Amino acid sequence: MAASFASKCSRVGRSLLGGPGNNLSGLQSASNEVVGNNVWSQQQRTFIQMRTVLKVVDNSGAKKVMCIQALKGKKGARLGDTIVASVKEAMPNGKVKKGKVVYGVVVRAAMQRGRCDGSEVKFDDNAVVLVDKQGQPIGTRVFGPVPHELRKKKHVKILTLAKHIA
Amino acid sequence: MRLEKCWFCSSTVYPGHGIQFVRNDAKIFRFCRSKCHKNFKMKRNPRKVKWTKAYRRLHGKDMTQDSTFEFERKRNRPERYDRNIAENTLKAIKKIAKIRSDRSSDHIKNRLKTGKIQRQKEARKQLEQDIHLVKAPLALAQDSSLRLPKIKVNVSQTQTEENQQMEE
Repeated sequence: MAASFASKCSRVGRSLLGGPGNNLSGLQSASNEVVGNNVWSQQQRTFIQMRTVLKVVDNSGAKKVMCIQALKGKKGARLGDTIVASVKEAMPNGKVKKGKVVYGVVVRAAMQRGRCDGSEVKFDDNAVVLVDKQGQPIGTRVFGPVPHELRKKKHVKILTLAKHIA
Repeated sequence: MRLEKCWFCSSTVYPGHGIQFVRNDAKIFRFCRSKCHKNFKMKRNPRKVKWTKAYRRLHGKDMTQDSTFEFERKRNRPERYDRNIAENTLKAIKKIAKIRSDRSSDHIKNRLKTGKIQRQKEARKQLEQDIHLVKAPLALAQDSSLRLPKIKVNVSQTQTEENQQMEE
């Protein structure tokens, strides 16, 4: 059901993540359900919490990563926050292997985040860049757009690697 | 601070309003309000949605080519602040906006002109033909102010004689 709803509410440029991308079977009550029987009801984009699968957008070797813990925030992580994650899917020869516990910085989130000028930004999918404990990225390239919220969070290295800053 | 245009309806997005959606190919879509955002999510083409500026420009309802649009082109080069320039720019903005609105309303008026003339012609015809629904023909004949001026048509004598023969 989650998959069918996700496809009904799809937008232009849909993400590569399928059903498990949107966390509807969350353990906490913070996750929001899809509203009503309306065909065009939007999915409520919510925080990145335990069991959220995120896409990895650097060349560290991992492909998909599942969030174990959001380091800051009671309800979950948002755009620009760091998370602790477990690697679920990895490239055969990469720096990280499947099953490893890593830290990551959320660089794209489907949930909108307010900017200081009052506007809001949202991205198409949930994506993360793997970092080490000090906050330095493990990989050497970053794919896709990244927000400039990272500058305030002192992730300057990721910004320099990025091709496009939203 | 920059005033953006809504991707769907082309209205200005002022600071503090709207949502910015960044697609994975790094294209940014700005929306002025949730109406436009929801239409976008439904994958509607703004060129087919009647109330958007894109539709109106495409179908010739609104003015497209005008020199006043040149002033609003995006310039990525920041200008050094000069008080006089800023003051003159503000005055010019007001004047240009007024000129543009006058020209666009003229454009719309011209577009609607042919329809107006047609409607007036039809109204005149209807007045001629259907006035008996409003006033009785006897009253009409007595009160000359309610009729259109009569046009005299001369019928030749030979034609009426032929008609009489045909009837017999």
